[in-house]
Amino acid sequence: MKTVLDVRAVSKSFGGLHVLKGVSFSVESGSVTGLIGPNGAGKSTLFNIISGFLAPTRGDIVFLGDVATGHDIGTRSRAGLQRTFQTPQVFRDLTVRENLVAGCHMRGRTGVLEAFFGLPAVRREMKQAQQLADLAIARFELEAWRDVPAGELPAGRQRLVELARAVVVEPKLLCLDEPSSGLSADEVRVLMATLRRLNREGMTILLVSHDMELMEVTDTIHALCFGEIIASGSLEVMRASPRVREAYLGT
Amino acid sequence: MRTIPAERIWLWSATALALVAWAVLPNFLGRGAIDILVFTGLYTIAGLGVSFLLGQCGIVSLAQSGFYGIGAYAAAYGTTTLGLPIPVCILAGILFSALIAAAVGTPVLRLSGHFLALATLALAIIAHVLFLEFEWLTGGTLGIGGIPRITLFGFSFSTPYRFYYLVWPCAFALILFYTLLLNSRTGIALRAMRDAPSAAAVAGIQVASLKVRIFVLSAAVGAFAGSLFAHYVSFISVDSFAIDRAIGFLLIAVLGGVRSIPGTIAGAFFVTAAPNYLSRLGDIHPILFAVALVVAVIFLPGGFGGLIASFWSRLATRGRASSKSRS
Repeated sequence: MKTVLDVRAVSKSFGGLHVLKGVSFSVESGSVTGLIGPNGAGKSTLFNIISGFLAPTRGDIVFLGDVATGHDIGTRSRAGLQRTFQTPQVFRDLTVRENLVAGCHMRGRTGVLEAFFGLPAVRREMKQAQQLADLAIARFELEAWRDVPAGELPAGRQRLVELARAVVVEPKLLCLDEPSSGLSADEVRVLMATLRRLNREGMTILLVSHDMELMEVTDTIHALCFGEIIASGSLEVMRASPRVREAYLGT
Repeated sequence: MRTIPAERIWLWSATALALVAWAVLPNFLGRGAIDILVFTGLYTIAGLGVSFLLGQCGIVSLAQSGFYGIGAYAAAYGTTTLGLPIPVCILAGILFSALIAAAVGTPVLRLSGHFLALATLALAIIAHVLFLEFEWLTGGTLGIGGIPRITLFGFSFSTPYRFYYLVWPCAFALILFYTLLLNSRTGIALRAMRDAPSAAAVAGIQVASLKVRIFVLSAAVGAFAGSLFAHYVSFISVDSFAIDRAIGFLLIAVLGGVRSIPGTIAGAFFVTAAPNYLSRLGDIHPILFAVALVVAVIFLPGGFGGLIASFWSRLATRGRASSKSRS
């Protein structure tokens, strides 16, 4: 199996606070990998390092065989790494369709001047982006909300829009940060079904969450505690591990 | 057969009517009134750049008077001292402004909010001081006179009446260009960047560089307006590019409604006409202008553009309702 993401001995310190202490793990192509841990375990920090929002103090992020540690967010996106946010970050004033058009921005080449003078290439690229957007809208059953500003949707739908926007460019790795937070039980079930379907269609997913129910969609889980991985394995292994239970489940 | 939606018919007829009104209007006005409309056109062009920056990128720019001045001095110095053709000078002014905007924009646009506004104010002040100091180029307070009129195919735009038919097609074209930009993929990217910058970066939108590009475009448009201004008045001095001009351009954007591109015309008209007509009431006219401004800002938070938009949507819904009841 091909390795999509390789986290190599990543450490991160904020002043004297060591948030991550040499974390290593990898994400295999076609897998759903979970990252769990109690609050303050360093999940979000690690997630931000993987997606390029933070630089590690030591260690490397290797994406598709290339060292991506020094790459900015945009470079990683173009290489095929997409992420969502803990609080959904939709473009509030944009319609659902425009959100998805913005999501495929990296597919276009035309710039400010071409758009200013309304060159035909600009219109062509807009058409292509709208076609991709409409496919994603159908795929996520968002037809009824297509022309509604995303900010007016309920939280669950906003998550779905954000997910659709990340998927519209068919990323090589989809990183989801606490995707079930703020969702109702029904919405979580829809989300899990969606993730399973995406994975069946070949999407590699990295899932950061403390929601154990959501972890049922994963193949492998890494448990993070005080900046270290304390256990790795399937959900059953996690539930059976005394260290995980002690650190995380609190029993 | 595809039916054309009622709103579109309304829009087309309203546009056609407005164009006819625009074309015949100067025949009913005196020289002074036409002069105000010419300045409205000039300020619309410069104001468009400021308005788009503020409304679509959230960048408050007070630097536009500097770029307006660069355009004007390029036209003045190029045509009088160097004897270059007018189009070359206009183009040089645009390019020079764009270069300066690119150079200063990269560091300055890293700032945000009040700091960014202050930094652009500083740019306007620096530009004004330089215009004053570079006497060999700008003539300082004495200014530069004898700037030639723009001539196209042997037709000289030498009077306000004639210049009206030059400046407004330019303004309309720029309104069209900015509208095209706003509705393009790039425009969507800009609005996305304004709503959620982190998510925009993940979508592959190059936030910092896109901001600089829009700033450069705004500077180029400002320089173009400045060049037209120089050729219209044929005498320019440093007083035309002081801080009050910078504030005036920002007022145009705010009054016109920063989310509305055509609203800029209304903003420019207010900023041009109000002081002019109020000055007939005597020495209290700056106070009256300030009061009018405050009233406009309080009662029209979306600017004149917002007012027009809400009026338009009411008209459109009524049109739809009546066409439904007919069928």
